[in-house]
Amino acid sequence: MDYRNAFAISATGMDVEKLRLDTIAANLANIHSGKGVDGKLFRPLHVTTSEATSNFAVGFEQLAGAQLHGARVLSVEASNVAPRKVYEPGNPEADDKGFVSMPGVNQVTEMVNMASALRAYEANVVAMNAAKTMALKALELGGSQ
Amino acid sequence: MFGQTEAITLDMLKMALDAASLRHQAIANNIANVNTPGYAPARVSFEAQMGALRSTLQQGNPITPGMLSGIRPVLEREAVVQESDRTALLDKEIVNMAQNTVQYEALLKALGKHMSILSAAVAEGKR
Repeated sequence: MDYRNAFAISATGMDVEKLRLDTIAANLANIHSGKGVDGKLFRPLHVTTSEATSNFAVGFEQLAGAQLHGARVLSVEASNVAPRKVYEPGNPEADDKGFVSMPGVNQVTEMVNMASALRAYEANVVAMNAAKTMALKALELGGSQ
Repeated sequence: MFGQTEAITLDMLKMALDAASLRHQAIANNIANVNTPGYAPARVSFEAQMGALRSTLQQGNPITPGMLSGIRPVLEREAVVQESDRTALLDKEIVNMAQNTVQYEALLKALGKHMSILSAAVAEGKR
């Protein structure tokens, strides 16, 4: 009976969703960014995750409960989205037709992803609180009855 | 009379509490991986193994400690969740978690009652 594992699993879930929210915030913050110092446009970031697995020996993994490790982040990658072309003839970065390239951040997609990441984060908090309630209830055992 | 029921009740409550605790970890794992592509949800099988015990009790026969051997909480994996079913997974897991928490507290209550019966029997000797 190990409560710490339940807390650790929920913590990994919160970690992953927090990073997802951070990247969404970065994408939205750069929605109107021009070219950087390296002359490249910002590309929207995307988080890839997978289920976390342990590096322990397989024999140990046979223990029920020792096989559960929550989620982990595989990578944060810049996605290959074509830049948006915005007509802004007054902009110093405009090309000869008056178009400016802006990062291909899709505001609607980012907002939808944010809502789902937020909901997943909240679900992890609820799971952690449930584990806490269960652990505290078990502590009452053997007290005044 | 006391020796047999005592051992069975405590053993079964202990196993059921272990199963509920493991089930909570499985649910927490499913919730943590709610946005993971290609994830197979974890499940705990335990109550389904109680069929033989239940029919023995219904026939009015006592359960012997030997019948409990081989019964233990087992971690299983379901089929991989399709992308379109992912939002339904979260709702389902939250419901499972609420149910499991109540189940866990009910088991603790049963264990507490069992202990208080034992302490009542022990206290009788003092008089």
